[in-house]
Amino acid sequence: MNTDKKPIRLSVFIRVHPWPLLLFLLAALPCAAQQIAIRMEAGAFRIEGWQPAAPPADGWPSLFQVFAGEGDVPAMLGSYSVDGGSLVFHPRFPVAPGMRVRAVFHPPESAPIEAVFEVPKAAAPAATTRVAHVYPSINVLPENQLKFYVYFSAPMSKGRAWQKIHLLDAAGALVVLPFLELDEELWDRDSTRLTVLFDPGRIKREVRPLKEIGPSIQAGKHYTLLIDRDWPDGRGAPLAQEFRKEFRVVPPDRTPPDTATWRIAAPRAGSAGPLVIQFPKPMDYALLQHLLEVAGPHGPVAGSIAVEREETEWRFTPREPWKDGDYRVTVQTTLEDLAGNHIGRAFDVDTFDPITKSPPRETVSLPFRTRH
Amino acid sequence: MRLSYSLSGLAAGLCCAAVLAFGASSGSMQTGKAPLKSAGPMAFGPDGILFVGDSQGAAIMALDVSDRTPARSGGSLEIKGVNDKVAALLGTSADQILIQDVVVNPISKNVYLSVSRGRGPDAVPMILRADAAGKITEVSLENIKHASVSLPDGPAEASRQRLETITSVKYVNGNVYVAGLSNEEFSSSLRSIPYPFTEATKAAGIEIWHGSHGRFETNAPVRTFVPYEIDHQTSILAAYTCTPLVKIPVSDLKPGSKVKGTTIAELGAGNRPLDMIVYTKDGKHFILMANSARGVMKLPADNLETFQPITRQTEITGVPYETIASLKGVQQLDKFDDANALVLIASGSSLDLRTVPLP
Repeated sequence: MNTDKKPIRLSVFIRVHPWPLLLFLLAALPCAAQQIAIRMEAGAFRIEGWQPAAPPADGWPSLFQVFAGEGDVPAMLGSYSVDGGSLVFHPRFPVAPGMRVRAVFHPPESAPIEAVFEVPKAAAPAATTRVAHVYPSINVLPENQLKFYVYFSAPMSKGRAWQKIHLLDAAGALVVLPFLELDEELWDRDSTRLTVLFDPGRIKREVRPLKEIGPSIQAGKHYTLLIDRDWPDGRGAPLAQEFRKEFRVVPPDRTPPDTATWRIAAPRAGSAGPLVIQFPKPMDYALLQHLLEVAGPHGPVAGSIAVEREETEWRFTPREPWKDGDYRVTVQTTLEDLAGNHIGRAFDVDTFDPITKSPPRETVSLPFRTRH
Repeated sequence: MRLSYSLSGLAAGLCCAAVLAFGASSGSMQTGKAPLKSAGPMAFGPDGILFVGDSQGAAIMALDVSDRTPARSGGSLEIKGVNDKVAALLGTSADQILIQDVVVNPISKNVYLSVSRGRGPDAVPMILRADAAGKITEVSLENIKHASVSLPDGPAEASRQRLETITSVKYVNGNVYVAGLSNEEFSSSLRSIPYPFTEATKAAGIEIWHGSHGRFETNAPVRTFVPYEIDHQTSILAAYTCTPLVKIPVSDLKPGSKVKGTTIAELGAGNRPLDMIVYTKDGKHFILMANSARGVMKLPADNLETFQPITRQTEITGVPYETIASLKGVQQLDKFDDANALVLIASGSSLDLRTVPLP
């Protein structure tokens, strides 16, 4: 065994599972004369057989560093402590499973010592996450469809959406760049819902992309939204299965939703049955969750919302039974239909149309009275 | 080799200049742990203050990164495989990190990276700093002078799933401007936030519209933007998600106002502007724009004021632009100094961070 002329390379494989709970070491064989060894213990790297004095002028990193990965990489971020008479390096983050880690110690008066650790790969998580639902639920979409909401059954990983979501035409060929491929990706807070916007440049009238290459989807044609099975979820597991949503396209919808066309089925006083509002066309699923509010003679009414019948029906079940009297539903005019038309205002307003000259309102109030 | 094209339409005539005004202080900040839930687009403000867009937290965080030592002139930077190096620093593999943005501290020329360690729900946001020697260190958020302001209409308790993803942040003349896109309604607000932040500071929304060729008007989220100055009037040059490039005087960006940008160029289908900078070379002013599909474009900016806005799709009145053939795969762009840009550039599966001469 080398003693003092050459670096000593000691490779040890940890066989511990699960990482990092047991993370017990095995590092280096003792270094001959000095009996110095580097051990990996509970995620930290400890030098044994060497008594640290005061930190050197350049700090502990000038003596001891740990490198994750291959090649010319910088040392891992972390902190140092002297614990039980040993110098210990604590990585800023637990070393990821499957990583190869090299710890290098430069004793002040002898040759460097190096130890290599291979952190076991984590057991592959089961492929259980699936696409739970895609909204809109309906399979007939306007040519100016604005977005999809893709709901997953568990949190997903970020930064891969545009490699994993595809749009196919009726022949199975890929539609080129149908969506707005934002690097940031429009996830919700829990990473379980992704909003996929169609490229608005291919929806808005008189914008160059629409003129150059036309709409992403064309009336009269059939398409399939395809989501790959190998999209890693938040644990790194692929989806349980690929997902397909087939749909047919109809001409663009440029008619703003009109609350005057909604049918309100008032609930019976004294009951806790739902208030039901039916729309003549599907509305945006996500916005239906929070842009309609119910208020009564005594203020806001608490309750739960359900969206049914391919987003053409909104049901509100009160927490307490309805009282006899007058109520109202307040609707934010930012509520959109499938094509992004707001209440009282189309997605792209034709400024030649005098209707759009009217000042926009922020809410519409829909009164109703409980039945007897 | 450079290729020349003609843009359909453009305006012109400005004296571009950096518009960052220095002099504000970090006096309103607290020292302690900066509660950053995610680290996205960034911008430097006055006196070395770093603004970080936190989409998950629905907030803008101002960090005093204590980095005010002026750099010596003539510096440069090159970090090959910066994604591998960042991953190694953080004890993981390159496919488990995301570099969200890179910006240059205009004082020190140190480069700041907003990074996510991990891609899943347990991802950790981080701010890293690379010095002129290429050494990368962590900007600890544990005990740092900071201030933050919530974005209006942030995730209401009633709608936990609604989130506005911040796509661009800039500091202009005492205000932080924030572009974002909602994951629900087709939102169009550009947020304006006076800085320094105080307890009473609120972010005001400015409704941004796209006047489409004299006839159609639509909500038009801004994807990215850059400030510039013309005859002492500061404007922003903004790229909409629907691709037109527009100019908007900053004086129009009043809280609660409805602003329609003037279309000065259309970039065409299949392309997304990623980042823009404004610079001066040989007495002339230029805009450099990194794009998803059309490479890095160099636009003359001297005459932005005199060009007529595009009002009809059939007009071919554009300003010529060049595509800088030597800059392929640029994902992030910032101004490094008067002669150089900083780019984050894809090279195979690797990402390189380096300075390049301004073209």
